[in-house]
Amino acid sequence: MDFALLAATALGAVALYLMLPREKAPLVKLGGLLGVMSLAGLLLYLVRTVAASGATGAGPSPYFYAFAVIMIASAVGVVAQPKPVYAALYFVLLTLAGAGIFVLLLAEFMAVVLIIIYGGAILVTYVFVIMLASQASSGGVPGAENKAAVYDRRASEPFVAVLVSFVLLGVVLQVLYPVDGASIAKSQATVRPDSWMSASLGVAIPEGVTPATMPATQPTNIQMLGTSLYGQYALSLELAGVLLTIALIGAVVIARKNVSVDAPVGTGKLPSE
Amino acid sequence: MSQIELYHYLALGAILFAIGIVGFLSRRNLIMMFLSTEIMFQGVAINLIAFSLFHMNPSGQSFVIFVLTIAAAEASLALGLVVMLFRRRETLNVDEWSEMQG
Repeated sequence: MDFALLAATALGAVALYLMLPREKAPLVKLGGLLGVMSLAGLLLYLVRTVAASGATGAGPSPYFYAFAVIMIASAVGVVAQPKPVYAALYFVLLTLAGAGIFVLLLAEFMAVVLIIIYGGAILVTYVFVIMLASQASSGGVPGAENKAAVYDRRASEPFVAVLVSFVLLGVVLQVLYPVDGASIAKSQATVRPDSWMSASLGVAIPEGVTPATMPATQPTNIQMLGTSLYGQYALSLELAGVLLTIALIGAVVIARKNVSVDAPVGTGKLPSE
Repeated sequence: MSQIELYHYLALGAILFAIGIVGFLSRRNLIMMFLSTEIMFQGVAINLIAFSLFHMNPSGQSFVIFVLTIAAAEASLALGLVVMLFRRRETLNVDEWSEMQG
């Protein structure tokens, strides 16, 4: 048992519980303060584990901590924000920080795809549906358009939800980080990022070659991904395309208004004619 | 990439997943519940890509592509259903549909 990690997790659980929307004024400020304390404790713990492992240059770059804090904060923003439109905007922030994390993991293509698909396509769909559904929710009551809907202002079972998920998170973190990081240091295995993925395709990189001085024959990350996708997973890729087509047809069929089969098809004239 | 760095990325993925669970269980707005599942997808994607780098195997990134595909299909279908349900009752409250059980 690692009590520092456990305390940080429990503090985060209390913070998230306080920040969830509720009937009386939610204690957002107190919850935010506790959340910042919990996050700072977690970061200190992470930095300390790197130091305890004894290896120099083993830890992630400082950008990792920055992007991680942005991601966690905006995820809490999505969950705790009563107004769906602002929650969607927080999700855009989450996506951008996630793209930063992907770049740190040398997956530039996935970072761009994440921004285009999540930040672009999926989020636009969400915002459209939110706009469509919330314009009628205010019901014409004066002043109601500035407030979130009743069901958005009160979370259902916040205590049970926080308990379930943070017990899971606590167990996962306890398993991930064995006590004092010493056992991690023993099983230390360092991977050269510039030789990444070359092993799986049987391409050897000579020692001392950095990405900048890499010969042109060395496949890039995107080439590796393309080889994997269209070689190993070609059938799955085709099936994914079929799935998308089916989902497209299904969405159109589900969402269209009920029109009778005998409805007049259109006369080819403008309504004014 | 060292093992300890891998653990940091896994921890970030787990935290995002936990926050997504809180959102899915506690929000009563249909759209917000689906948005919370997208947070969980992000956590899983970070896990997959971190393992992809650590094991030097591009399959992790390929899986993330498929996860994104499923997420897009799920979002389009779920939002279509939300629009249909909203037309029936003029509300997004999940509790309104509590009689819809097996």
